[in-house]
This record gives sequence, structure tokens and C-alpha cells, in this order.
Amino acid sequence: MNDTFGTYHPIINFIYFCTVILLGMFIMHPIFLCTAIIGAFTYSVFLNGKKAVRFNLIFLLPMMVLVSIINPLFNHRGMTILFYFRDNPITMESIVYGIFTGIMFAVIILWFSCYNEVMTSDKFIYLFGKIIPALSLIFSMVLRFIPRFKEQLKIVYNAQKCIGRDISSGTFLERMYYGIKIFSIMITWSLENSIETADSMRSRGYGLRGRTSFSIYRFDSRDTVVSVVLIMLIILVISGILLGENSIIFFPLIKTSHITIISVIVFIAYFLICFLPIILNMIEIYILKRNKKSGDLDVSVYNK
Amino acid sequence: MSVFIINNFNFTYPLNEAFALRDVNLTIDDGQFITICGKSGCGKTTLLRNLKSVLAPHGEKSGEILFYGRPLAEVEQRQQASKIGYVLQNPDNQIVTDKVWHELAFGLESLGYDTKTIRLRIAEMASFFGIQNWFMKNVKELSGGQKQLLNLAAIMAMQPDVLILDEPTSQLDPISAVDFLETIKKINTQLGTTIIITEHRLEEVLPMSDRTIVMDKGEIIIDDTPKAASEKLAKMNHPMFLAMPTPIQVYADVINEEYSVADSIKFNKLKCPITVKEGRNWLSNVFEDKILKIKALEKSEIKPHEKIKPVIKIKDVWFKYDKNEPDVIKDLTMEVFPGQLYCIVGGNGTGKTTALSLISGINIPYRGKIIIKGKNSNQYKIKELFKGIFGVLPQNPQSLFVEKTVRLDLLEILHKSKNDEGEYLPLKEKEERVNEIADLLEIEDLLEMHPYDLSGGEQQRAALGKVLLLDPEILLLDEPTKGMDNFFKQKFALILKKLLEKNVTIIIVSHDIEFCAKYGDQCSLFFNGNIITTNTPDKFFSGNSFYTTAANRMSRHIFKNVVTIKDVVYLCKENLVK
Repeated sequence: MNDTFGTYHPIINFIYFCTVILLGMFIMHPIFLCTAIIGAFTYSVFLNGKKAVRFNLIFLLPMMVLVSIINPLFNHRGMTILFYFRDNPITMESIVYGIFTGIMFAVIILWFSCYNEVMTSDKFIYLFGKIIPALSLIFSMVLRFIPRFKEQLKIVYNAQKCIGRDISSGTFLERMYYGIKIFSIMITWSLENSIETADSMRSRGYGLRGRTSFSIYRFDSRDTVVSVVLIMLIILVISGILLGENSIIFFPLIKTSHITIISVIVFIAYFLICFLPIILNMIEIYILKRNKKSGDLDVSVYNK
Repeated sequence: MSVFIINNFNFTYPLNEAFALRDVNLTIDDGQFITICGKSGCGKTTLLRNLKSVLAPHGEKSGEILFYGRPLAEVEQRQQASKIGYVLQNPDNQIVTDKVWHELAFGLESLGYDTKTIRLRIAEMASFFGIQNWFMKNVKELSGGQKQLLNLAAIMAMQPDVLILDEPTSQLDPISAVDFLETIKKINTQLGTTIIITEHRLEEVLPMSDRTIVMDKGEIIIDDTPKAASEKLAKMNHPMFLAMPTPIQVYADVINEEYSVADSIKFNKLKCPITVKEGRNWLSNVFEDKILKIKALEKSEIKPHEKIKPVIKIKDVWFKYDKNEPDVIKDLTMEVFPGQLYCIVGGNGTGKTTALSLISGINIPYRGKIIIKGKNSNQYKIKELFKGIFGVLPQNPQSLFVEKTVRLDLLEILHKSKNDEGEYLPLKEKEERVNEIADLLEIEDLLEMHPYDLSGGEQQRAALGKVLLLDPEILLLDEPTKGMDNFFKQKFALILKKLLEKNVTIIIVSHDIEFCAKYGDQCSLFFNGNIITTNTPDKFFSGNSFYTTAANRMSRHIFKNVVTIKDVVYLCKENLVK
């Protein structure tokens, strides 16, 4: 799926995920929690399609259930005792707390899965390159080196097998002997080839004074708009947290703060944050569709 | 204005008495396309590397090299980095970063350009080279040809005045190689960049170049236009002549004979052909209004093998790497008889290498049978297959080496090998066998060197030595002539012939049509996971119209069944001599 949010400037992507993950860890209020999980779930399905649905069903759901079961077994606080399990009281509060913690875990994991999809290695490298330029080149070189090394290892392994040096069969000593041989030649290989890479780098002026760091990312006007909106929403939600508008107490009795106008505003702000990527995508899909329709119309008029 | 002026330049490597370069005098003018050729080890690379200070090898030098009239050593590094572009042999090693766009920007970053300028320059270069479609890709997804093109584009982004290329296509398949050389030509004609290139694919590069320089033992022996240079080479009877394009070789061989006066006058009027097209015209002119005495050569059929059993028999074999991937080998059936040199040719990615891996048992088909010496291949133990039956030379010969020197590497293969009585071989006998092989492959001088320090062709030979020490009955060679120069190819063919006489079966997978045509017993064309046709090289290549030798392409409008240079020359002489 083509994700619009991923095409925004990496710094916005990064701040966004930091925000939703941190907020997700601290807010336990049921309405907020529901918003977060629906937002995160929709976005992860939007990004990964079928794969995400499968992952959520196989891994996330059992984990949530597990956490909700384990908590009441060890946590016996709370006033409303439902029954006794091996002489231990099982309370309603701890069950609810367990369920909520389970959902919170799921939210964090979902956001991380979205983060993985959106924050590709170049974006990460770019952000860190801004802080330490030399580091971004090293990252980039390492990312080039690792797959090459793996590939060469496979080639050497097969070539050695073809001359009767097979690591997968034979006595332990033989296998050790061949394994060490391959390991040592891989080291030689990396060093030897890096000489030519170094030649290629120096030949293209590496080591001259005043190296700059190029990136394909640009902070354009839509980035400005989105970042202003995002920061305003974040301020609203954080001040809401500080005012205790979305607090919830589980023990000894479950108690949430009263619904006020401010809490509604904070909720809307949180909703907008959680659904920001989806909203941006929806806007784009809508515009594209509208344009296409009007385009079709034009063509049909033209055809007549 | 001359880009480079080289005056009396001498160079010796440390701890080495012989001159690597001797009395080199060369003037390279702006906008020229210069091809440097010569046997491997003749000093081509040493010369090229001396043209850029950061790449110049350590050693003793005398004489001077001027870059736009200034001594090269005095030209600042910054200017050299951007103005002298240098493309190396190995496409993979030159790439520094993991993304195509980052690689394009690398040089410009080093030179300290701002983001705006870099953006413009790489956009320009990406469009010029047609890279825009894979601009955002990861480097590991590219093919070898694309990688080398990327290296070239990354250097061109720095807007060099002169582009130096050291055998840039030696690691590429023929089609990507031609693409790459076309791009070089385009750079030369459209941007006016001076090109200095060393190449062994002279068929493609000579017609493009303005000047050809032939080197031998560190000296420049010829410096002339391609036509004149090849004529001179022919006159000198220099071994380098064998590397020249087919039409030149045919021309030189044919005019060497005594002919009637009328014919001689005609020959003097006609110019030496370089391309296949010129070769065709030349032949047409020579045989204009002449009645041919012999038009076609007698060709041998595949000998019927009624009594002999095939040593390898593949029947209805299917293979794919993964369940969700497409089939690589589709319903392959083939037979190879003992003592045969069986050549498999075909384009990239048609499954040739995979077919080899199936024969050797590295990969296992999901349908069909492979019978080796009358026994199903999956009934063998891996040890049996690779100790005595198969010798496999992989595409990348480097992957066979595991030791510090070639000698140790060759000895290593005999580690724990037994003689006929089942005893471990004594060291002395091992050394004898190593020396024997080294002698056969002419690598005695290289025995004490690190295998990674050898050139491509030398590595190929040393690796072959390792494989031969296993005494295989069936030899599987994947692109054995890659990186070999033409003289060694001949020797290599002789080595193979000796093995064939000992009833060793050899299967070659190759892009080298000329080699297969000259030496193969049978040729098969691989396409889309299957063998399309199999025949003797003569029949095979004279039947194809595109996938055939240059000799056939240049002469087929006049002669029939012609495959090699020798054939064309023979027919020409037969028809012309009184």
C-alpha cells in the first residue's frame, strides 16, 4: 500500500511515532485506549495488509488474553471480590487492570510495527546523520556490507562443498577444520575487497575538507502544516494529562475523571493524533478519486 | 589542448628489478577515445593508475606526467578527484553505500557541494544514464551491468574532463558489456569527455576508438589508429594480434598470400575492415563477379553413440528455488557422453548455472531424474560425488581459495587424500603433484603469491589447478574464460584437450561463443530453463543468425557452414588462389 504519511519529512515521522508510543504507554483511560488501539490497528493493516491482520490474530490477541489472565492471578488488590482461586481473591479491578494493560501492550507493539514500515533505514540514517555526519556514512556502508558478506559466504560455502569440503557432513574435527578455513578466508575477502572500496572512495575525493551530507528529503510546505498541527495537538494532549483530564484509578475502586468540555477537547486532540496518518491517506485517496472522476467526465464530454 | 602529456616515464615496483613501465611517451588530446590493449601483466593498469595521484602505486618513478600542462603531483587533490574519473574492474567493490541515490551523491558530498547543487547534478546524471527507474533502489537489487553503470554515473556526476576505465566490462556478460561500452561512446560523443580505456573485448571497443595503443612488457609498441595498429600487429606477427576483432584477423590472413595481379590490385584498394558490417562489405567486394569454386565446408554430424552409455543423463527435470518462485529449470532433458566437451550457451538468467548445480547435486530437482554414471544422483553420498567424480569450477574462482599462497592452497586440496593403497600421501608426493599441475597451467611463478593478488585470468587458472588436483572424471566449468586473454584461452583449450584424451568429461557454461565454437564437441542453446537445440558447433552456429560467431556473421552471405576464422580464411584462399 502506498502510504502518504511515509512520504512526509523523516523528522515528522520520527516525532509522530515517539509521541504515539510515549502517550500510549502512559494513558490508561478506556476511551483513550480504545482510540489508540483502533488507530494503531487500522494504520498497521493499512500499511501491511493481510500480513498485519494475520500477525494481530496469531500473536497480539493471545498476548492480550495472556496478560489479562496473568494479572489477576498475582494482583489481588481491589475491593470487588468475584471469587476465590486456591484461596486467593480474584478481584474485578485487577481483571479490568489486566485487560487494559494487555490492550496497552498491543497498542505499543502495533505502533512499533508501523514504525518499522515507515521509518526505513535511510530515514533513520538521515536523522542521525544530521547529528553526526560521519555516522550516517558508516551506517550506510554497514548496510551495504552485511548483505554482500552473507552472499559471499553462501558462494564460498557452496564452492567449498563442490571440492569436497562440506561443513554439513563428516567428523566433528573435519567440520571444524573446514569451518575455520571458510571463516578465515571470509575475513581475508572482506579486507581485500575493502582495499578496492577505499580506492574508489579516495578516487572520488573522500577525505577532502568540507564534506557535506546530501539527502533526498526536503522540508516543504505540507511538512510545515502537518508539523504545526501535530505540535498543537501534542501540547493539548499533554496539558490534558497534566490537568488530569484523562486519569483513571483502578485500586481500590475503578474511578475515572468526570467528563468536561476540556476532557472532550483533549480526547478529540488525541483522536486526531492517533488517526493522523489514516486521515492524511484518506484525504489523498479522496482527492485522487475526485480528480479521476472529473478527468473521466472531461474525456467523456470530449468523446461526444 | 592535451589532457595528459607523458614524457619518458619509467616505473618499477618496490623489491622488483624489472621495469613495470619503460620509456613511456604519450600525448592524449582533449576529447579523444583511446584504447590501450596488451597481454595481461603488460603494464596497462600500472600506467592508468599513475594517471591519478591517489591511486598511483608505490614504486620508483622517473620522467614526468603533465595534466593540462601542469605536473600531476602539483595538481590539488580536489581538482584531481573531480576532473579525473576512474572506473575500476570490479563493479561490486567500487560501490560504497547501500542506496543508488546515495552512491550517485557520494563524490559530490566529498567535494562539499550543497544539497541544491547535488540534487541537480544527480538528477541530470540519472536521466542521462536512464537510472531514474531504479534511483531509489537498494544497491543489492541491481544486476552486475547496472552496478557498473551506477559506478560510471557516480563518477560522471562530478563532471570529469577525462574518464579512465580499467577493464570495466571484464566481470559483465556480453550484453551488459556492450550496453556499457555504448554508454562510454555516448559520453565521448555527446559530452566530449576524453576516454582512456583498457579492454579485452576489442570487437566492440576498437570501432569506437580514435587511437589504439598496444603495450608489451611495459613499453608502448604501437600507437596508431585502430586500423593501422592492427595492420602493424599483423605484420609484426605479434601474439596480441589474436585478440583483434575477427574481420581484421581474416583480412590480415587472407592478404598474406600470393594472388593474381588483378586480385592484388583489388586488395590494395580495399581498406582493412574492423566491424562485422565492414567485413561483410569487404568480402562482397573481394568476391564481386567471381564464381565460387567451393561454397560450403563439409560438416560433421553428431556421432551416434550406440554402444557408449552417457555419463550424465538428465531426464524431464524441473527445479525452482522456492515454492512461490517461478520454475528455473523446466523439463530439461540432456545427455553427455564420456570424453566430450559439452558447451552450454545462452543469455543471462536462463538457468545455465542452475543446471550445473543440479548436475553436481548442490541443488535437487523436485521432479525428474539425474543419472550419473548409471546411478541416480541422489543415491551418491556428497563425499563420493566431490571426491573423484566431480570437479566444479565456480563462476567466482576466488571462492575456492582458503590459504595464504597459491602453493599452500593447492597443497590444501590434497589434505588427507590417499593413494591407491589407501595410505595418506607423503608431503613429497603432494608437492610433486602440485608442481605438475602448476607446470601444466603455467602458474609456477605465481605459487608464492596470495591468491587474492592474482589477476582475474590468473585466479581462474589457479582455481582450475585446485579442481584438477581432485582428479575428477567430470569437470563442470562455469564461465571459465571470463577474464582470460586470447593467448591463454588457446592454452586453456589445449589443457582441456589433454584432459579429454584421458576420457574426462567436461561441461562448460559460457557466454564465450567464439571459444565454444572453436573447441566444443557439442553445443546447446539454453533458453527459458530448457535446452532449445543441441548440435555440433559447426551445425549449431551456422544455423543460428544472431547467436553465432563473428566469422559466421561476416561471411554467411557468401559461404555456408562457416564458423571460425580459420574456416573463412580457408575458403577465401581456396577460391582466390589460382
